[in-house]
Amino acid sequence: MSSNNIVVENLTFQYPGGNEAVLRDASVTIEPGEFTAVVGGNGSGKTTLCKTFNGLIPHFFEGTFDGRVTVAGTDTRESDVAELSKTVGYVFQDFENQLVQETVRDDVEFAPLNYGLDDYAERATRALETLGLDHLEDRFIWELSGGQQHLVALAGVLAMDPEFIFVDEPAAQLDPRNARETYEQLRRLNEKQDKTVIVIEHHSEFIADYCDEMVLVSDGGVAWKEPVEVGLNRLDDLLAHDIHPPQVTQIADGLPTEVGTLPSGRYPVTVDEAATAFQPAATRGSRAAVDGGAVATGTDAAELTERERDGDAVVTMRDVGHGYPTLREGYNRVLDGLDLELYEGDRVALVGANGSGKSTLLRLITGLASPDRGTVTVLGRDTSETLPEQLADDTVYIHQNPEEMFVEDTVRKDVAYYLENRDAPNVDERVDEILAYLDLEHLADRDGRLMSLGQQRRASLGIGLATDPTVVLLDEPTGSLDLQSRREVTGMLRKAESRVETVVVASHDLQLVAAWANRVLVMGEGEVLADAPPEAVFSDPNLLAATDLRQPQVVELSRRLGLKSPALSTESMCETLARSFEDDALADGGVADVSPGGESSGGTR
Amino acid sequence: MKYVDALTDISVADIKVDLMRTAYDNEDALLNSFDPRVVLLWTVLFMIIPWLFYDTLPLAILLAAAFVLAALSQVSKYLLALLLFGQVTNVGFFVVLVPLIGGTIRAVGHLGENAGRVVAGVMAGDASVFAETGTIVAAAVGRGIHTATTSQEVGIDAVGALVPFFLKLTIISVISLAVFSAMSPQKLSKGMLRLGVPRQLTFAIAYGYRMMPLLVEEYHALINSFRLRSKVPEKQGLFRWRYFYYLLTLSVKAFYPLIFNVAKRARVTVEAMETKGFSRSLGDEQSQTLRTEGMMVRTRDVTFVFGSLLFVAAVWVFT
Repeated sequence: MSSNNIVVENLTFQYPGGNEAVLRDASVTIEPGEFTAVVGGNGSGKTTLCKTFNGLIPHFFEGTFDGRVTVAGTDTRESDVAELSKTVGYVFQDFENQLVQETVRDDVEFAPLNYGLDDYAERATRALETLGLDHLEDRFIWELSGGQQHLVALAGVLAMDPEFIFVDEPAAQLDPRNARETYEQLRRLNEKQDKTVIVIEHHSEFIADYCDEMVLVSDGGVAWKEPVEVGLNRLDDLLAHDIHPPQVTQIADGLPTEVGTLPSGRYPVTVDEAATAFQPAATRGSRAAVDGGAVATGTDAAELTERERDGDAVVTMRDVGHGYPTLREGYNRVLDGLDLELYEGDRVALVGANGSGKSTLLRLITGLASPDRGTVTVLGRDTSETLPEQLADDTVYIHQNPEEMFVEDTVRKDVAYYLENRDAPNVDERVDEILAYLDLEHLADRDGRLMSLGQQRRASLGIGLATDPTVVLLDEPTGSLDLQSRREVTGMLRKAESRVETVVVASHDLQLVAAWANRVLVMGEGEVLADAPPEAVFSDPNLLAATDLRQPQVVELSRRLGLKSPALSTESMCETLARSFEDDALADGGVADVSPGGESSGGTR
Repeated sequence: MKYVDALTDISVADIKVDLMRTAYDNEDALLNSFDPRVVLLWTVLFMIIPWLFYDTLPLAILLAAAFVLAALSQVSKYLLALLLFGQVTNVGFFVVLVPLIGGTIRAVGHLGENAGRVVAGVMAGDASVFAETGTIVAAAVGRGIHTATTSQEVGIDAVGALVPFFLKLTIISVISLAVFSAMSPQKLSKGMLRLGVPRQLTFAIAYGYRMMPLLVEEYHALINSFRLRSKVPEKQGLFRWRYFYYLLTLSVKAFYPLIFNVAKRARVTVEAMETKGFSRSLGDEQSQTLRTEGMMVRTRDVTFVFGSLLFVAAVWVFT
């Protein structure tokens, strides 16, 4: 049926009180059965565009509305939000606040009950079963993990059996594994139940793996709508809107055309495609040279042990056990007999599955929690004997959720808070310096809680650095960031290194780990499963499986191409492939003077 | 400083879990198995009944019964302990305060009676009068202490008169604790909805239950944020009062950001409620019917009400 689509025609919209139109003459058509990604830079109007689909605009936000939006044949101006929501289900980016009842089943039944549908219970059962949540139906919402909550929000939408399912940035608030789980479910809904799925997404790797169409929103209008393979090949457009193409596409772009492209002449967008495209280059080159550029492994490891022998440990943990009481499962022991030493110059990445004790470990170092057993010593002070306020003289903990760090009403006051409390001299100067250092000057007088997540993260780092710490602890600094902001975080971590001795980052984000860390601690079963440089961790598939994390595309591609050691960055992969291609060309020319693994510069820096 | 950690860390976690259990884990609670309307009416009834008794013994028996009910409803031991602590210190306050005031009044009175002689003596500058003044002051203190010790009995009498009143208040408090911690919010709002309470209010109750644990976590996180960026008082003072005063200040300060964050959450919630058809459902008969169906007053509900009334009657007759 041709009218069973969403048609936006020449839409211009301005929020009441806004200075200029957020949408300007936007037109797009979403066909039934599509799996569409809407992309665009911050403030491009993509969320506003999508809120016109279920009538929140213009019925809830009454602004200046010109043009026409038709959903399954109905003009949205002639309907209302409640009615349109039967056709268009909406999962908010802030999905936690979308769940308004206290148990899972109640929340899923909430909408059908509001519409007075007799079969509300069956609808809820069906939705829960579809998403594999039936075993959780009696659980309280607050007991669930973020990933589970997101699926419950999705189930609440499915209970109304809408034709269109709209999900706002699923990967933004979820860790990569849960985001993937959500995408798997969305794919099933798209393929098995013929739902039309629309997502707003920053992460091009998810788009490449799951979506089939993509819409670029630019400056209030729709720039284009293309199939994903075509869209992701428009690298200039994407980069101009702060969207980072998949790693494999970036690699292809960095290679000579004959090596980087698929037979059809375009760049690969998934690892599968890349493995096919790059295989000839990788296999043609002499085996010895085909190395991911991680030859630095040996030196790094040696460096590490040497450091350990020399200096005093900054943080020492001896036979540490810690846990907490839970509502249903009694006492939950998170750490059990953990021994650990952290040294000056360590850039430590803590990785591991959810609940493996990463955050607990960080909290033990801050002194906010004391070990149930064993001792934790930070710079010579036993944390059980010292107040967290005193430990904070040298240690700073940057919360997973930056909102919890804002206690004042401007960023400037927040950054100054610690200094003023401790009667530091020249507070104003030091605050100015930090603000300039992190490029926060233009945000200094804004309320931290009202900024975007990326800005919040930057401000929270500023609050941390203002304390002039020796040890910096970061909990999931890229947990909910788009790639642009991730790049910023990595940059800031590097900047911070000149000021601090030891940085510990708990992260799900293996791309960050690969690009930044010099020591990786794999947590699991209450202890440290592995303590090694990133190259070693990434070349051990069993270890990666234990972390429950997905390897970065470069690492996966290295494995698929049969490289001896994995590449950790797109640059080193490009180098490796280009070199092997050239080697091969040279070999063809009869000059085969290749020192094994010789000039690789170690893509780990 | 292990004992400080015991206060601020471990016990905080324990108390949190215990309170969560009180508020949320009510599957086995006795009161949760009855029809919510019956329980609500029963509660109203038992808010009145204690006022019909005037003697200590029957009230004590009722209180004991209320505690049994609280135990069956899995009320947090911390909450009960807090309640009892409040009541006992209240009573204890009278035991201390009555003699103290009595004694002071007596001593001041004695000084006042002899004020003329003291003043005259001081004016005369006579050494013997100084001695006399000393005797007068000593006598005043002696009389004060005497009155205080004797009026302790008066104090205890006064408290005795107040005991029934405190018992009544405690019974009501324990019963309401039991009822509201035992009934699941779904049941509570269902019952209230059927009794004609507006939907907005019953929704607010359910929503409150949903958000509460989140707010507790957030509040705790905010206090921790404050702690990591504040400085503890260098001199801790007697019984470390400065330190505890500092913690108290932080716990008050943390409310502002908490409230701000709540307001921020509400923005999304309101939008989401619209997409879930909440405002549409407010005037919808069908939705209202579906929401309150499946409630039934059964024999066991009736047995419970009459059983408890019978118990009260028995107490009335036999004491």
